[in-house]
Amino acid sequence: MSERKYKRQDKVPLPPPDAKVFTTACDYCIVACGYKVYRWPVGKEGGLKAKENALGVDFPVSPLSGKWVSPNMHNVVRADGRLQNVVVIPDGDSKVVNVGGTHSIRGGCIAQKVFNPETPTKDRLQRPLLRVGGKLTPVSWDTAFDIMAKVSKHVLDTQGVHAWAMKMFSYHYYENTFALTKLAFSYIKTPAFAFHDNPSVAPDTPGFRDVGFDNFSASYEDWSLADVLYISGTDPYETKTVIFTHWILKGINTHNMKLIYALPRKTTGVAHAEATGGLHLWLIPGTDTVLHMAIARVILENGWEDKEWIAQFTNNKWGTDSGFGQGTRNTQWQWRTTWGKLETKGFKDYKEWILAQEESKLDVAEKITGVPRGDIVRAAEMMAKPRPDGSRPKTSIGIEKGNYWSNNYLNTASIGSLALLCGAGNRPGQMVSRFGGHQRGGRKGGRYPMEKSPEKYPGRRRKSLDLDRWVEAGNVRFCWCIGTTWVGSMTASQAMEETFKRSTVANPHQIRRKDAKHAVEVLKQRVDNGGMMLVFQDIYLRQPLGTKYADLVLPAATWGEEDFTRSNGERRIRLYSKFYDAPGESKPDWWIAAQFAKKMGSKGFNWKDSNEVFEESARFGRGSRTDYYPLVWLAKKKGMRAHELLRSMGTEGIQCPIRYEDGKLVGTKRLHDSTLKLPEGGPEGPTIWPKFLTAFKSQTGKANFIKSPWSLFSDFYEWFKPKGDELWITNGRINEIWQSGYDDMERRPYITERWPVNFMEIHPEDAEARGIESGDWVAAENDRVPVQVSGFYGVQPNDFTFTELMKAGHIKLTKARINAVALVTPAVRKGVAWMYFLDPKQPANSLVARVVDPLTNNYRFKLGMGRVRKTGESPYKRSLEEMSFARRDIA
Amino acid sequence: MSCGERGKGTMNSDQAQERPCMTRRQFLLASGTVTLTTVFLPSIPGLLGRAEAVPATLTQYPKKKVGKLSALKTDAPRYFNYPFKDMYSQNMLVKLGAPASGGVGADQDIVAFSTLCTHMGGPLAGTYKSRDKVLGPCPLHMTIFDMTRHGMVVAGHATESLPQVVLEVRGDIIYATGILGLVYGKRNNLDTGK
Repeated sequence: MSERKYKRQDKVPLPPPDAKVFTTACDYCIVACGYKVYRWPVGKEGGLKAKENALGVDFPVSPLSGKWVSPNMHNVVRADGRLQNVVVIPDGDSKVVNVGGTHSIRGGCIAQKVFNPETPTKDRLQRPLLRVGGKLTPVSWDTAFDIMAKVSKHVLDTQGVHAWAMKMFSYHYYENTFALTKLAFSYIKTPAFAFHDNPSVAPDTPGFRDVGFDNFSASYEDWSLADVLYISGTDPYETKTVIFTHWILKGINTHNMKLIYALPRKTTGVAHAEATGGLHLWLIPGTDTVLHMAIARVILENGWEDKEWIAQFTNNKWGTDSGFGQGTRNTQWQWRTTWGKLETKGFKDYKEWILAQEESKLDVAEKITGVPRGDIVRAAEMMAKPRPDGSRPKTSIGIEKGNYWSNNYLNTASIGSLALLCGAGNRPGQMVSRFGGHQRGGRKGGRYPMEKSPEKYPGRRRKSLDLDRWVEAGNVRFCWCIGTTWVGSMTASQAMEETFKRSTVANPHQIRRKDAKHAVEVLKQRVDNGGMMLVFQDIYLRQPLGTKYADLVLPAATWGEEDFTRSNGERRIRLYSKFYDAPGESKPDWWIAAQFAKKMGSKGFNWKDSNEVFEESARFGRGSRTDYYPLVWLAKKKGMRAHELLRSMGTEGIQCPIRYEDGKLVGTKRLHDSTLKLPEGGPEGPTIWPKFLTAFKSQTGKANFIKSPWSLFSDFYEWFKPKGDELWITNGRINEIWQSGYDDMERRPYITERWPVNFMEIHPEDAEARGIESGDWVAAENDRVPVQVSGFYGVQPNDFTFTELMKAGHIKLTKARINAVALVTPAVRKGVAWMYFLDPKQPANSLVARVVDPLTNNYRFKLGMGRVRKTGESPYKRSLEEMSFARRDIA
Repeated sequence: MSCGERGKGTMNSDQAQERPCMTRRQFLLASGTVTLTTVFLPSIPGLLGRAEAVPATLTQYPKKKVGKLSALKTDAPRYFNYPFKDMYSQNMLVKLGAPASGGVGADQDIVAFSTLCTHMGGPLAGTYKSRDKVLGPCPLHMTIFDMTRHGMVVAGHATESLPQVVLEVRGDIIYATGILGLVYGKRNNLDTGK
């Protein structure tokens, strides 16, 4: 049971009229709703009348006012050296994103995230810690940097840059990602680098890239403008809350927009879609490619494709051949091209290919996907069948992890080609994008040194390094993990923890005294002896790397504790204001990177504050999707700090790429926008007009039809899929915990009461066969988790297929077991169980293969599998206080 | 684990020590007459062989008759106003036919809740789902609340559980004696409405 209980309050303090107001955005999911923070000293309260409170409204407030303060929106912080009340409330005046102050459960509770030693946040890291004799012991920042720099130099001198690794978040504000990647790529220049959600530096949705779609081309408004919205591998109700509750519901309520969901599970959003004339394609995990191909076949056989649009906006043979739309030499795309299995000579070639595929036939597709053929035909009709008057339905497509994290290349390529048949991708209400996961705050401070990567595709082309496999192979000697739960968030988690243990605490060379010189000597001996020095940097001591294995733990400052900037899923950049003091000696990540770099002797990290980092970073993003250089340029012209100019735009911010036109900054609503009118005089001042403003991201600006041969994936799929009494044990997220686990799962009693432990949704028939009832403890066991331990070089064309990797001995089989509380519900398919993805104690990823998609070096995170058995009754089975077993798929 | 032990880890320690634990009867007797700081409202005893409790902060509430046991039918909600008569005082009383946290009556299955959604004040009256014993989805943004689990969010966006009306039974009469949680729109449940 969770130790810390949610305490109900029946009153809340209101900010008085003289409260200080700060603007920010929610720290959690991609949507990034606008918020205001009201801060005032403890001991004072505002009154009920509009003139007596800072919100300027009479209390009680009316429904939908956007001005109600719930008890979870209040907290007490230390700022300017004194205790102060804060109310963090969705911006009720917002005209964008969360219009009128609507919000998710996560953002609505974000006030509980801030450090307050009277709350469960009291375990925030506050000082650098060195593991001495197995115990984490406080040391000064200077000592920490001294040890890190000396061991780093030793590793770089004796082993080279390949032995110096960094694993970091890719999104936690432009200032931090820029400083850290500048360190890794421009100063150290290591290829041993990966962001939090991939084992290597790889594109999330490579198929989209090959077709020519930018991941975040749509604006949120586009999700309300379609007639039909095909949603693949996610329920935006659960994980893009305000996109669903404001923008998608607006489309349903104003012009009867229909939703098609491709998901192995029924959720609240799916239930609502079905109740409003939509469709649920209830597929077996990992089979989306076949589903897309079958829908495409129905469209093609009936001639429902958007012929005019295809002729105008997609490549013919010559266009496709111009470097596969992407450039010609030594790129991943070219490798895919030379393989000869993916590129087409344009629409006609694609059509012939689809019609020749066994898997696209309705009866075969029905068998593989589990989706009834009638539903496949219905989906094709809804998406592409012209109306009697000849007009076409406006179709948009949004995808997320269930799509591209179950079959990375083929799913994204096949849905991209399907989108082209529907004429989607470059106009209002007819867009194709990711819905998004975390916010977009990545800015690379240098180039990934691909030429140094030891990995190679068959042929001559290099491939970015798979850091997990590199660690597994014992090649990393200095390892710096920043703001991510590396083990639990990658695959075959339990096997990976063993690897870290072996390299750190199980190595004979351990620090015994709190003495920097001794620590450096011991760590040098360890790295010479095949071990690793591990540095862990975060806001909390996360398990297992922080709690069990790190030699040094560095405390980071975060949201609300420093002025930061970040963009959301429609490329909207805002300033996230500092409004209280960071706990103890914790420091923002950019500062930590800079101090380390200076200790190493670098001269390129002399920033005074986060604004200086931001201004420098702008030069590295010119011409990109999130180009904010014109903002920084204009601020300088006005004699302002760039952060201040952005602050003046409040919660509205501005959509990147930012342009400068007629003396004003202009945002970009959508990318690939064929309706966008750019000034006739050409780009002005610092403005860059990348091709993708009005055309697709390809050599010609036209989109590519891509093939998706099932055989590239099917050997792995057939081997891995459940046999006998095994079940698919796929994973996903829920509305109540989404991009917020570090707060919600561990430190927010309101949420831990709802979800105290990881859980498993299981179909009633599967449950009955195993004697399982809701509330029972179940064990999920997989005794054949494949882990690729070697195989960095491809020589023959098929070297990286699963079959060949197995034959060559590059894959070892490991075992995993995790526990969960059962939730018996017909909302999951028979044969499929579903768990929450990132529980730190019971990571569902343990059941997932650590074998990458060989085309892209991405994992198939959603394909977990194992046996399920009852191990007892949990206390929640009969408690009426914690954990609800009620169904969520209710409309 | 006793109620008092549980309190130490869950609340401000001074409050927990001053008023470590009250029985449900003590709470009900006290709530009509004195101002309380912090109380534990025990749920059905014996289910786990130990006391379970819902911590809450309550101030002084009026006691008001809201219904009769004999008039309640399972799964047939009735509506009443409490603690005042304004739009913020709309509540629903229902016999769930399944035991519930804070439930009264012989089967501990009679509960009452505010019908203003704690997300943005949407009207929940008329959304009771008897199969699942939930209230919702809210017509505005689809939040669902579990009535057997003191109004816990099943799925959705509300930043607090649905406020539960504390009930007391005397003979056939059901009284409301307090509210657990802040009602949507209000600063304090006992501020008088517009």
